Formats: sequence, structure tokens, C-alpha cells
Amino acid sequence: MIIAILLACSAGVLIGISRQINGRLSLSTSPLIASFWNHIVGFVFLTCLGLVIGDLLPAGAGLVPWYDYLGGPIGVVFVAAGSWVIARIGAVNTALMMIGGQMVSGVVLDLALSVPTDLGPTALGVVLVLSGIALSQSKRKA
Amino acid sequence: MTSTSPLENPRPFVFLAAFATGGLLTLMVHFNGELARYGNPLFSSWTAHGTGTIAALVFLGLLYRRGRMKPAVRAPAPIWAYLGGISGAATVMLTSTAVNSPLALAGTLALGLSGQAIFSLAADHWGLFGLAKRRLTMRNLGALALILAGSALIILEGRSPA
Repeated sequence: MIIAILLACSAGVLIGISRQINGRLSLSTSPLIASFWNHIVGFVFLTCLGLVIGDLLPAGAGLVPWYDYLGGPIGVVFVAAGSWVIARIGAVNTALMMIGGQMVSGVVLDLALSVPTDLGPTALGVVLVLSGIALSQSKRKA
Repeated sequence: MTSTSPLENPRPFVFLAAFATGGLLTLMVHFNGELARYGNPLFSSWTAHGTGTIAALVFLGLLYRRGRMKPAVRAPAPIWAYLGGISGAATVMLTSTAVNSPLALAGTLALGLSGQAIFSLAADHWGLFGLAKRRLTMRNLGALALILAGSALIILEGRSPA
């Protein structure tokens, strides 16, 4: 269990590291070029990994409807936008706003897809997230 | 994508863009989750990186044709700055392992967000990986606490055990 907890936390840290590194690359190139390198390097890395451990093309792959492939192109915009944003408002603000946006839109998507949701805690959670965002946006004293 | 100076982008606009980008992440996680359901997590991430590479080339080609690509006059990036994709790809392996532990999806997500938030504090404090240092304020910490508490509620309590 301890190992699983460490793995899950490390996954978050790795997300932060890649956003930081891609942000640095975008300073020397552009956010879209940084996103391109992120994807092609990740693709080569995962291809090597797949060739070693196998299962790169599982049996169900042929059944995937076309729109489920949209995750990749969306990811390109996501990485480019993240690299653009982090160079302007820093890592903490970027992480806060993205987590907030992910949570709120996730609730909306779950409601749209009729995923069983406990409305009380969910609504309270959304209020907390939005107040955190409001706090980070409120006028500075100085 | 053009590169403009921070002064030309008022902060609220950049914050709004970051919030909207979080929404893109939800869509991306949904679609990639579907890919993993038909195949497996490795297939999902591999496919998304492949289609993403093609999409990035298409976007770059469109910008190039419109003459929006300015020749780079900036200092070159260090080699390690090209390796962010490895970190992103490795994330998939860690999460797909953690999801299959007693943590399940909810625990994995909640811990992942915490790891991300704590790393971002260190990243701004020390200016990690060549980005600018930023002074942390009580406002940052307060906002962080509220957003993590809200996320934990949504993730851990919001799903009715069906």
C-alpha cells in the first residue's frame, strides 16, 4: 500500500516535471513546438517500452470508435497551452487553475454522462474549488 | 501560436486560459480512458502520443503556411528540455499501476493532484528546470488548500458507491 501511495504521488510529480520542462523548451522555441517534441519523444519512448513488454496492439484495438482517438490532438493543445501558461503565471498558479478546471469540468461531464454522483459533497467540493480560484484572483493589498 | 510578452496578456486572461485547459484535460482523460478500456493503458498512451504527434505536425504546418512562424532568435534550449515527453509517458505507467492497487481510481487521482501541487510549490520556490523563481505567498497556500480540499471531496466523497 505504501508503494502504491508513493507511485500515485510520483505520478503527480512527474506531471509537474514535464510541464516545467516543456515550459522551459517553449521559452527557446514556441509552445506548439514544445508540445510537438513532448509527443514525439513520448511516442518513441512508449514504442520502445511496448516492444519490450508487448501488448502494444491489443485485440480490442480495432473496435475503437473514431472519436476516441481525439485524446491525442486534444493533448497537443493541452501541452502547448500549459507551456504557454506556466511561463506567465508560474507553476503554482498553473497547477491550481488546471486542477480547478479539471475538477469542475469533470463534474459537468459526469453529470452529462449520468455517472452516479453524490450531489452534496460534489457541490460543496465545487464551491471550495471555486473559492480557492477566487482567492488567488482577489485584488492584492500592495 | 504566437509568442507575445506577458504584458500583452493580462493575468486574468492567462488564468482563464489555464482553467479552460483543465477542462481540456477532462476530455483528454475521458477519451484516453476509452482507448484503455478497448485495449490497455499502454495502448492508450502510445496511441494518444502517436495521433498527437501527427496533430502537432498538422498544426505547425498550418501556422507555417500562414507565415506565422518567426525564425527563432532566442538562445537554444538545453538538450534535457526536449525530454519532457518521457516524464509524461512514464506517468501513465505509474498511474495504471496505482489504479490497480487498493487506492483505486479515486485515491490515485487525489494523491496525484497532491503530488502535483506540492511539486509546483518547490518548482516556483527554487525556479526548477530553468523557469523563473516566484515568491510564494499566503494567498497561494490558502488557494492551494481550498482547491485540494474541494478536489478531495469531489473525488473521494462525490462518487456514490454504485
